[in-house]
Amino acid sequence: MAVAVIMPRQGNTVESCIITKWHKQKGDSVKQGDMLFTYETDKATFDEEAEVSGKLLEIFFKEGDDVPVLTNMCVIGQDGEDVSEFMPGKTVEKKKDENEKSTEEEKPADMAGHGILETEPETGEAVRISPRARNRAEKQGLDINAAKATGPSGRIIERDIEVLEKTGPAFTKAAAASYDSRAVYTGSGIGGRITAADVKKGAVQINPSAPASAEYEDENVPNIRKVIGKAMQASLATMAQLTINMSFDASSLLRFRTTIKTRGAEMGLPNITLNDMVVYATARTLLKHRDLNAHFSGEVMRRFNTVNMGVAVDTDRGLMVPTLYGCDRMTLPEICERTKEIASMSKAGTINPDLLKGGTFTITNLGTFGVESFTPVINPPQTAILGVCGLTTRAREENGRISTYQSMGLSLTIDHRAVDGAPAARFLKELCVNLENFEAMLLV
Amino acid sequence: MPKEQFIDPNEIRKSGEIKFKPIPVNSYSRTISDEKDNFSKADFMRIFRDMSIIREFESMLNAIKTTGQYNGIEYNHPGPAHLSIGQEASSVGQAYLLDTDDYIFGSHRSHGEILAKGLSAIEKLSDKRLMEIMETYFDGAILKVVQAGQSSVSELAVDFLIYGTLAEIFARETGFHRGLGGSMHAFFTPFGIYPNNAIVGGSADIATGAALYKKVNQKKGIVIANIGDASLGCGPVWEGMCFASMDQFRKLWEGQFKGGLPIIFNFFNNQYGMGGQTIGETMGYGFLARFGAGVNPDQMHSERIDGYNPLAVIDAIRRKKEILAAKKGPVLLDTITYRVSGHSPSDASSYRSKEEIDAWAQQDSLITYRRSLVEHKVSGDGEFEAMLESTKDLITKVFKMAIDDKISPRMDLVGSPRSIEDLMFSNEKIEKMEDREPEVLMPYEENPRVMQIAKKERFAFSEGKPVSKNKLFQLRDAIFEAVAHKFYTDPTLVAYGEENRDWGGAFAVYRGLTEALPYNRLFNSSISEAAIIGTAVGYGMCGGRAIVELMYCDFLGRAGDEVFNQLPKWQAMSAGVLRMPVVVRVSVGSKYGAQHSQDWTSLCAHIPGLKVVFPVTPYDAKGLMNAALAGSDPVIFFESQSLYDKGEEFVETGVPEGYYEIPLGEPDIKKTGSDITILTIGATLYKALEAARILEEKYGMSAEVIDARSIVPFNYEKVVESVRKTGRIVLSSDACERGSQLKDMAQTISELAFDYLDAPPVVVGARNWITPAHEYEKFFFPQPGWIIDAIHQKIVPLKDHVSMQNFTETEQIRLNKAGV
Repeated sequence: MAVAVIMPRQGNTVESCIITKWHKQKGDSVKQGDMLFTYETDKATFDEEAEVSGKLLEIFFKEGDDVPVLTNMCVIGQDGEDVSEFMPGKTVEKKKDENEKSTEEEKPADMAGHGILETEPETGEAVRISPRARNRAEKQGLDINAAKATGPSGRIIERDIEVLEKTGPAFTKAAAASYDSRAVYTGSGIGGRITAADVKKGAVQINPSAPASAEYEDENVPNIRKVIGKAMQASLATMAQLTINMSFDASSLLRFRTTIKTRGAEMGLPNITLNDMVVYATARTLLKHRDLNAHFSGEVMRRFNTVNMGVAVDTDRGLMVPTLYGCDRMTLPEICERTKEIASMSKAGTINPDLLKGGTFTITNLGTFGVESFTPVINPPQTAILGVCGLTTRAREENGRISTYQSMGLSLTIDHRAVDGAPAARFLKELCVNLENFEAMLLV
Repeated sequence: MPKEQFIDPNEIRKSGEIKFKPIPVNSYSRTISDEKDNFSKADFMRIFRDMSIIREFESMLNAIKTTGQYNGIEYNHPGPAHLSIGQEASSVGQAYLLDTDDYIFGSHRSHGEILAKGLSAIEKLSDKRLMEIMETYFDGAILKVVQAGQSSVSELAVDFLIYGTLAEIFARETGFHRGLGGSMHAFFTPFGIYPNNAIVGGSADIATGAALYKKVNQKKGIVIANIGDASLGCGPVWEGMCFASMDQFRKLWEGQFKGGLPIIFNFFNNQYGMGGQTIGETMGYGFLARFGAGVNPDQMHSERIDGYNPLAVIDAIRRKKEILAAKKGPVLLDTITYRVSGHSPSDASSYRSKEEIDAWAQQDSLITYRRSLVEHKVSGDGEFEAMLESTKDLITKVFKMAIDDKISPRMDLVGSPRSIEDLMFSNEKIEKMEDREPEVLMPYEENPRVMQIAKKERFAFSEGKPVSKNKLFQLRDAIFEAVAHKFYTDPTLVAYGEENRDWGGAFAVYRGLTEALPYNRLFNSSISEAAIIGTAVGYGMCGGRAIVELMYCDFLGRAGDEVFNQLPKWQAMSAGVLRMPVVVRVSVGSKYGAQHSQDWTSLCAHIPGLKVVFPVTPYDAKGLMNAALAGSDPVIFFESQSLYDKGEEFVETGVPEGYYEIPLGEPDIKKTGSDITILTIGATLYKALEAARILEEKYGMSAEVIDARSIVPFNYEKVVESVRKTGRIVLSSDACERGSQLKDMAQTISELAFDYLDAPPVVVGARNWITPAHEYEKFFFPQPGWIIDAIHQKIVPLKDHVSMQNFTETEQIRLNKAGV
C-alpha cells in the first residue's frame, strides 16, 4: 500500500522547511533507509530517509520549495497505485468512527475504545499534549514528538512522557522491527525517532541491564549556584582552555613555613600559609609574563600593569572569587592578612560585591584535599588560572644517593586563543624556580 | 398544627354568612380652627416648612434631570430620581407623630419620606442626642462637610439630613451610605428611617420582619411599610400581610408576646404604577382599602385617608398607633395622593390628560394647606413667602456642597480598589446579638431529644462494623445540636418556616425544640416563602438573628427577590451600617420528582453577598452550622434529604459533643490519593467515594476525594495542591450541569493549575432535564460509574474499561446544540 512521506517538523517553532535536494526522482525504486531528500531550516540541514521500500510514485514539491511541515512530500508504493489521496491540500475523507454513534442506555457505549489507545497526532494538526505532560517533558529535556500518545483523542498525557523517560525515544515503524532492546541508538528521524538506518548504523552502547531507578531528592538550585554554573559553562564554551602541570621542590617553602610556625608569632608575623606564599610568588612572577595577566575579548588583548589576584574561596553557598588588588606590591604579611579577611567575608556572605570584580589572574587551591593535579576553569575574560595542588613525597637521585623531598604540583590553565603553550610553560617554569628559592624571592 | 386547637367539622360545615364592617373613606373632616387645640402655630408652620423642603428638594432633582441645572448651577445626575412631588402632605403627616423608635421602610419613591421622618426626628431629639448621632455616624465624616455657620444644633441637623440624603443620591462617599445605596435605597437608621427598596413592594415583608423583631425582642415603637398602590399586585406584599396577621400571635403566643404585630402597611396610593392606572386598568379593587377586609376579622383596621391633607394623615396615624399599642395590628392604610411628577423625569405622562394633572394641581397640598392656614388666620402670606425663600436658599446651599467634588468626593476605587469588596460581607463573629438571658422552657440537659442523643454512637462504625441506624448519631442530630446551642446562647434567635414546631420539621431536625422554646422563638409560618425570607431580612437588619427554613431548595424560586435582591445586598448597600445574621436552611430533596429534588447551590453562588454551604457529614454539618450561626452574614445552608440519617464516617473520634466551628470556605479532603482528584459538592461525595473504591480496586488508580463543603466563600488552595499532585480532576454534584458551580470551579482550577493538568477538569453533573421519578434517578444524578466513564473518556483511558455513558466531544456538542 502506498504511503506518503511528510516534511518532518524540526522543533515546535518551525513552520516550514526548504527542500535543498531530492536524492531520488519520480519513478526511482527506493530501498528502506535510502536518502530521499535533504531540507533545511534557518538553523540546520537535515536528511530524510525512506522508511519503506518501493517505488517513488510521486513528488509533490521541487527543490527550493518552502514546504509547510507535516505536509506530504512524496509517495512511495507499488506501480499503478493511486496517489491522488495524498495530494497536499486535499482533505482526506476519514472513515466515520462508528464508535461515535450514541448508544442506548445499559449497553456498552464503546466510544473511546478499550484501554490504552496509541494514536499518532493527525497530520496537519499541532501535537495534542496536556500542559502537565508538556511541562514534564520540558523538565526532562524530552522531545514530545517522540512520545506515544495514549490520552483521549490522541492527546499525549503525563504517563506517555513517563514511558518516554523510561524507555527512551520512539522508533519509527520500520526500525521497530529490528532494534535490540538493550541497545542505545542515536535517533536521526522525526523528533529524534530512531530510524531503520540508525539501527543499521549500530548501537552506540549496549546496556547490560537497565539501571535501577535511584532514590533522589530534588532541591531548587540557589541563585549563586546558577551564576557559578552559567559562568563555568560560558567559560568552557567560549574559550580554548588548555591545562599544563608542573611540580616543584617545596623544601624552601616548607622551611619558611616552619620558621613562621615556630617564630612568626614572636616576630609579630601573621600565620602565613603555603598558599599565601604561592600567591606572593605568583604575583611577582606574573608581571614578566603579561599575556597571562590579561583580559582577552577575542578582538582586544588587555595586558595589566598590576596584578589583581583573584583568590578562589570555597563557601557554603558555593565558589566565590574575591580579589587582592595590587597584589604584586603587597608584602607577604599583607597578602596573608588581606586574604584571610576577604575569605572570611566571602564565607560569611558579607563581602562587598565590588571586591568580587576586577581580577586579572586567579589562583585556586585544592591542595589541602590532596589533589595532585586538576584542570581549573578560567574566570573570563582572564587568560589564565593557576591551580595549587597538594604536597607529595617524591624521590630523587643526587650524586648516587636516593633522597626524598616534598613536591608541590601546579596546574595552569590558559586560554589558548590568547596564549600559546610554550610561553605558558615558561611562566610556570619560572614560577616553580622562584618557589624553590622562596627565601630569595622574599627579597624581590 | 397545635393539638389544643380543635377543628370541629360541625363548626366548619355550618351554614351562615361572613359580615364585613364598613371601611371608612376619608372620614377626617375637621378644619384648621377645629385643630387649634391640638397644634400650635409653630406646629402648623413646621408642617408647611417640612412639606416645602420636600417640594424644593424634589423640584431641584427634577430640574437637574430635565434641564441639567438648578438655580443656574449645572450638574449632571445620570442615576435615578423617582420623585414624590404632590405626595408631600402624606409623608409629612405620617412622620409627624413618629419618633426614632418608629421605623419606616420605603420604596423607590421615598425621598419625601426620608426628609419628613428625619425632620420629625430632629424636632423630637435633644441637641445632645443629635450631636451624638452626627458625630458618631461614619466618625463624623458627614458632619464635617456640613458643619459651618449654623445657629443651632437642629439647624445643623437639618443640613446634615438633607445633605446626607442628596450626597447619597449623587453617589458621593459622604452620602448616608457612601453612595452605595443611591436614590432608591437611601435611608438613615439613627432617625428610624430603614431601607427604601427599589423592588416594588419589597418593603412589605421586610417591614413585617422588623415588626416581628420589635415584638419578639420587646422593643419600643411601630413599623410602617410605605409601599405604592401598584405593589398590591405583588405576591410578597400579600405574603407579608398574611404573615403579619397570623392567628397564632393572638391565639398561641403568650404573655407579653401575645397580640398582633405592630405594623402599618401604608399604601401611598398615588394612582399609578409605571404608566398603568391602578383604578380602572391594572387592578380591580375600586378602593384599595377594600383589601384589608379579606385578610383578617379586624379587616386590618383598614381605611382610606386623605393624603392631600397633612392633618388627616396625622389624625389617622394617631388613631392607628393606639390600635398597634393595644396589640391589635396589623393595620392597612390607603393613603390617597397623586404622582404629579410622573414615574421618573423621563415620563412624558402620555397615559394621562392635562386636565387630570391640572385638577390635582388645583388641590395641591402646599397650596390648599397654606390657604387654609391663611383663612383660619394662623399666618399670613408674607410669612409663607419668606419660608419658601429660605427653603430655596437651604436647598441651594446643600446642593452646592453635594456636587462639590472636593468636599463630597466619590469613593476612590483606584486608590482603594477593595472599598466595595470589603463591604460585601461583614465577616464578624457575634456570639449573641444581645446580652440578656435567652428565654427557654427547660434546661438543655432535660430536653428529651438531648437525652435521647446522649445514648447515641457519634461515629458510624464500632469495631469496624456499622452502627445500627437507631443507635447512630445522625446528621439531623448534628444540626439540632448546633441550633439548640445557639437558642440557649443568643436571646434574639428565632426559627420559623414552613414546618418548624410540633412536627419537628418535615425532616425531624427540630424534634425536641418545641418542648424547649416558646412560640415567640420557634413557630410555624404561613406557607409564604417570600415572607419567610423577607421577614428574616427585616429581623436581621434590625439587630436580631434568624434561622429560617424553606423545606425544599426548589422553593427558593418562590422567594426569588428576597433571596437574590434583599438578603445579599443590604450589608453592602448600607456601606456596612447593617448586619444580616440570617441563616436560611434549604434541603435538596430526593425521590420527589421535578419540583422537589433540585440542587440550586449554583443559583445562590451566583449572587454576590450570599455565603453558601452544603455539608454532608454530621461533623461538618454541626461545625458549619455553628459557624453560620455565629457570623454576621447571610448563609444559605444546604442540606440533603438523602443524608439526614447519615452517621459520621470520617472523623473517627466521632462528632464532638461540645461546641466547635468549621470556618466557612474550607474544603475537606475525605480520602487521600495520588492519581486523580474528585471534588464534590453535596451528597455526591458518597458516590465519588464509591467511584474511588472501584478505581482503586479495578484500575489501580488512587483517587483523592475532596468535599467542597462550602461554595461561597471557597478556598482553592487545597484543591490546587491536590491537582498539582494528581494532574487530573473530576468535579461532580447533583446540580444540573449547565451553568453549574462545578463549571465555575472547573474553569477556576484550569486557570490556577493549568501547567499541572494532564487533562481539562471534567464536570460530571446531573442531566439538564427535569428530575424524574425516584425510579429513574440513577439516569439523572451522577453515579459512580459515570465518574469512571468520564475519567476513561476524557482524562486517561483505563485499561479494559467498558463505558456505559457517553462523554465524547461529539455527544457534548450534540447535547448543547439540543439545549439539554
